[in-house]
Amino acid sequence: MADAVVRHVVTFGRVLREAGLEVGPGRLADALTGLDHVDLTRQDDVYWTLRQTLVARSEDLEAFDRAFRAWFLRAPTAPLRREAGGETVRLVRRATAEGKRPDERNGEGDKQSLGYSAEELLRDKDFATLSADEFGLVSKLMAELASSRPRRRSRRLRRDSRGRQLDMRRLVRASLATGGDAVERSARDRIHVPRKLVVICDVSGSMEAYSRALVLFLHALVGSGRGVEAFAFGTRLTRLTPDLRGRDPERALAEAAKRVVDWSGGTRIGASLKAFNDEWGRRALTRGAVVLVVSDGWEREDASLVGTEMARLSRQAYAVVWVNPLKGHPDYQPLAAGMRAALPSIDRFLPGHNLASLEELAEILSGIERRHAA
Amino acid sequence: MTVRSIDELEAALAGADYLPDRGLATALFLSLRLEKPVLLEGEAGVGKTEAAKALARVLGSRLIRLQCYEGLDVAHAVYEWNYSRQLLHIRAAQEGTVREEELFGPEFLIRRPLLEAVESPEQVVLLIDEIDRADEEFEAFLLEVLSDFQITIPEIGTISAAEHKPAVVLTSNRTRELHDALKRRCLYHWIGHPSLEREIDIVKVRVPGVPARLAAQAAAFVRGLRRLDLAKPPGVAETIDWARALTALGRQELDAEVVEQTLGSVLKYHEDLLAVRDVALQELVDEARAAR
Repeated sequence: MADAVVRHVVTFGRVLREAGLEVGPGRLADALTGLDHVDLTRQDDVYWTLRQTLVARSEDLEAFDRAFRAWFLRAPTAPLRREAGGETVRLVRRATAEGKRPDERNGEGDKQSLGYSAEELLRDKDFATLSADEFGLVSKLMAELASSRPRRRSRRLRRDSRGRQLDMRRLVRASLATGGDAVERSARDRIHVPRKLVVICDVSGSMEAYSRALVLFLHALVGSGRGVEAFAFGTRLTRLTPDLRGRDPERALAEAAKRVVDWSGGTRIGASLKAFNDEWGRRALTRGAVVLVVSDGWEREDASLVGTEMARLSRQAYAVVWVNPLKGHPDYQPLAAGMRAALPSIDRFLPGHNLASLEELAEILSGIERRHAA
Repeated sequence: MTVRSIDELEAALAGADYLPDRGLATALFLSLRLEKPVLLEGEAGVGKTEAAKALARVLGSRLIRLQCYEGLDVAHAVYEWNYSRQLLHIRAAQEGTVREEELFGPEFLIRRPLLEAVESPEQVVLLIDEIDRADEEFEAFLLEVLSDFQITIPEIGTISAAEHKPAVVLTSNRTRELHDALKRRCLYHWIGHPSLEREIDIVKVRVPGVPARLAAQAAAFVRGLRRLDLAKPPGVAETIDWARALTALGRQELDAEVVEQTLGSVLKYHEDLLAVRDVALQELVDEARAAR
């Protein structure tokens, strides 16, 4: 192949990498070999060959098209129309008003009868209304909750005399000695291992009353064993897992606060989820995991990004659970634009505003099933 | 047949009643030439599985299909020992003189699709359908098989693909993201919905006896549906089904009444049916009738 073509393609690879595509030497080699087999004077064949060898995911197609235009056709920026084409028209008219932000979040825990135990009362008390003492008690109860983790069946089989699958290999071997009689029943069963759990927690201003309690819950979750990863976000995303490894939840909270510098700043849910998907999702952290997003869904910027990134997240995850403390209010409706955009990608939508609802969450986490693909 | 150029493959596929766009023809051609698996993604019903079947017809090769599902394991994808035969064999030998090697030999092996494809002396087309439905651990295993077309059976040894590596087509509906490592092994092609002209041609090829005007109107109508915000936008497969139904009813063209009666073969979700009936049906019919 002509050197000029090689140089051209290699440089194009660099352009693509700058656009965020993962283009390794292997892919470039494929592209060059591919070009060997097609007619270089046919622009569409060159386009398809490069696209099929250099792109591995549909999300990257638009970036590829743009780069191809800019590089090979010297016509920058205007994105190519994808075959599917056309705009999507919304059939069902949805409430377009942004939804008013609830100013007040009163706990409803004032009118309980006196017959309940302190713990019982605490269960239903909104986190936003807890006193310091109550908070301490809640954090103890949380540790118990957090010990229930979703599990998945591993492909690996282990000898298990009560297992569901006969270990036929073993059985046949054993039968050699007895002339074909299976004397001993050898059985195997799948082993169960904890499923990965990824928690992405909104700690911005609108969540302040709850984030304190939820960070305690996170701490307890991280302490429950391996395979738990925690992230916090406000205007940007930070990994919290290392801070939450210590024994002392209060200190963990302080550490977390220090590190998440935008504590009590605005919220950029979409951008934070994108950062998560780009950096951690790509490294397969989310794959097969139960992902727990904790947020009230108040997006400061573009809500449609929340939708896109949640869809991306849910394609990778085993299941997505969204915890929104505001949902604990009887007249709550998911009107926040970010929340609405996220809903289609969520498997379970829960309140998590008090201990009782965290109990519900823990129960759901321990038995969660993958939603079946449409 | 040996395919020498994209044009040739395109023509051959058309001869096998499959009308690919240039992109798909290029992907399949490169897959054959570079001996790399091709991963086809796209909405349901755009013809991913059909592409593999048509490729097999064109090459005159056997199609071996592995349908993936959650829980698919080696025993169902690669091989399993025929245990009842083994036990019978031990019994039949009476005097306890069966050696273990004898028992775990090729004749007691049940070949599943992957092993069959690797072992086959002629080139086959291996279709690994809906890989996104299998568990990730299976994906990792598959990666091993696809990288060197070898399968190791502890009792027998390693079996490698003969002269001809199988032509491998993987399909995914993108219910989940596949591992990058697997994608790296594959050429990647996203199949979109076809252009109106191509869809009309596809309907004509696949539905014998369809009136030309009906084919055009049905394709235009379905295209209109795809612009709507539906739970499941119809694919080409639905257009074909629908055109078949309409042809069977003896229709020459569309009208609101017949669309209403037969819409169930295009839209598979109740909400979608309701939404289209209530909001857009007449408009779409008018648009489709105006198309040609």
